[in-house]
Amino acid sequence: MKSLLSFFNSVKLAIFLLVIITLVSILGSFIPQHRNLDEYVARYGQFAHLLNQLQLTKLYQSSWFIALLCLFSLNIIVCTITRLAPKLRKAFHPKLEMEAKEIIALKIKEKFKKNIGLDAAKKELKKELRSRHYRLKEAERENKTFILARKKIMGRFGADVVHIGILIILAGGIISGAGGIRKNLIFSEGKVLGIREAEFKLRLDKFETEYYPNGSVRDWKSTLTVIENEKPILSKVIEVNHPLSYKGFVFYQSNYGWNWTNTSVGIRVRKRKDPSFLRKIEMKVGQRVSLEGENIHISVMHFIPDFIINDRNEVTSRSLQPNNPAAFIEGWEGDEKIISGWIFSKFPDFARIHSEKESDLVFELKNFKADQFSVIQAAKDPGVSFVWAGCAFLMIGLALAFYWPSREIKVILEESQGKTEVIAGGIAYKSREGLQSEFEKIMTSLRRSR
Amino acid sequence: MNEQLLFLATFILYIISAFYYFAFLFSKRENLARIGFSFASAGLLIHTIALVLRTFESGHAPFTNMYESLSFLAWSSILAYIIIELKYKIRRAGPYFLLIVIALMALASSPLMPKEATPLIPALQSYWLWLHVSVTLFGEAFFAVAFITSIMHLVADSKKRIRIKSGLSPEKLDSVSYRCIAIGFPLFTLGGLVFGMIWAYYAWGRYWGWDPKETWSLITWFVFALYLHTRIIMGWKGRRSAYVAIIGFLAALFTYFGVNYVLAGLHSYA
Repeated sequence: MKSLLSFFNSVKLAIFLLVIITLVSILGSFIPQHRNLDEYVARYGQFAHLLNQLQLTKLYQSSWFIALLCLFSLNIIVCTITRLAPKLRKAFHPKLEMEAKEIIALKIKEKFKKNIGLDAAKKELKKELRSRHYRLKEAERENKTFILARKKIMGRFGADVVHIGILIILAGGIISGAGGIRKNLIFSEGKVLGIREAEFKLRLDKFETEYYPNGSVRDWKSTLTVIENEKPILSKVIEVNHPLSYKGFVFYQSNYGWNWTNTSVGIRVRKRKDPSFLRKIEMKVGQRVSLEGENIHISVMHFIPDFIINDRNEVTSRSLQPNNPAAFIEGWEGDEKIISGWIFSKFPDFARIHSEKESDLVFELKNFKADQFSVIQAAKDPGVSFVWAGCAFLMIGLALAFYWPSREIKVILEESQGKTEVIAGGIAYKSREGLQSEFEKIMTSLRRSR
Repeated sequence: MNEQLLFLATFILYIISAFYYFAFLFSKRENLARIGFSFASAGLLIHTIALVLRTFESGHAPFTNMYESLSFLAWSSILAYIIIELKYKIRRAGPYFLLIVIALMALASSPLMPKEATPLIPALQSYWLWLHVSVTLFGEAFFAVAFITSIMHLVADSKKRIRIKSGLSPEKLDSVSYRCIAIGFPLFTLGGLVFGMIWAYYAWGRYWGWDPKETWSLITWFVFALYLHTRIIMGWKGRRSAYVAIIGFLAALFTYFGVNYVLAGLHSYA
């Protein structure tokens, strides 16, 4: 037990673990995480299975990485506790009756005799120290007076506060991982969805995409209503960076898309030789509409949001985004198919229309309408408040450690034959140069005083 | 006034500053370094105006694409250098540091970096953009100063062994490196990690997701944590400390640059 404790009490172990965790994190950043096995096979060939077995494909969630973090936490806990107890004792119950040789051994020190009595010297010294914001403790023994002057004591605990902060953040991470709920809710407008773990439901009232004048997306906005016991409780428009919080759940605008199964299309028909001819038709995919004043029926057989011809020469959609919308249309004269082909909304001149008969009809895909859906991420993360608390500790600790330099000045005053011998020394917990000059100033003013 | 024109003026001022600093380095005339410092300060002033103008022209924080963020990093670096120079008098580091700044400015003005201000994508529309990016890059600027003083330490230290005296003592360079990291580390922790986590929580719904940029900022943080622990607890100083500081800056550089081009992730905008 004792050897185990001393194992975890070592700074060398901390540094070793820090190096290992760093190297492992680097490794993990170069292996794509959480992909399909197929993707790894395509990338790494026969090593894919090995990667999978070593959990390198989900490295940061792997049992051995978590074990490493646990070891590291244990290391921090033991190091902090064993160092903290004596530090606290020293800070709050300091030993006042120090030996002259302890002070002489310090790097910042001075020893001189002053031609005034002990009380006068003491008064002068205390005034000088107080004016520099030192807090004083005093003890007397025989004919000696011991003065311990300290300031910014909290600065000594900066590193400990940082370490406690890190432990709280890690604890928050464990709580998030173990008790967190995260799921995607796919809403179309008007739909009500419940979450198993919550006693309320959520309705999407409206979803809209806002665009900048140049056509790029400005924002996605979903109007959500919380429904509890069949009654609407509150409504909020959420957008990226502005989630809705309700009863421990947070709802984020996470994604969006189109449901292309029920698309309607707007087509314009013109005639090459007759500029005044223009017919607009609106129809759903699969419908057949007659072209007014012409002996012809038009139907839209397929709609593809992101048209591409793949390497097997098949027409397919590259994505579900309307990057290159295309419609396959047919024109019928009675029972005879006379026209068929693809038209593209972004490339009207690129239409591939195949005509059986002489025809000067020109088709343009003008618009399309499909139901949009909004993907809302519902998350319940009980670890999050721990993480924020840990972050606060972390930053306070860093500020203390770097910018709250603790200083300590120890003085022994001893009277003999009307003179006072002064033995003084200083301990700087950060920045010795700063204390050195302050110490010298204090001693100089004490020497000059009368 | 045009932002691009001011950017160019800034670039020229930095080049003139570097010229004077190098002249100082070779001639050892102190007043040349002072002129170099004045040009760098003038550059900082014009650069500040350029960034403010950019903010008004684009209507958002001036670090949403690579051009903007490089320009902002150059600005932070000059500011960091001026602060350190005023505090610790490290003139001889000036010429080398200005080379870094000029490299950043040159990269920013390269034709590979699109310069037009584009409207903000939804994920970036947040005041955390200001806090997260500016504090992080300012912290990294101090790592850059520590990088230069650490390299200078290594050179000065090896010269000392063959007994050639140079301007700045290796001990002073070592101590300035530490001071820079003592400023940069809390800033980087606050901007890069803490603000980053808070923003990620609001924008993406989780505070940490091992995205390559997140992972690499943690790696950078680990390296500087190692620097502090080996130095303060194990008493490393000088060469060994300088190596850790150099590795730390390279990690920060990879987090800033490399991740965007080598590793794909959520942070792909800048």
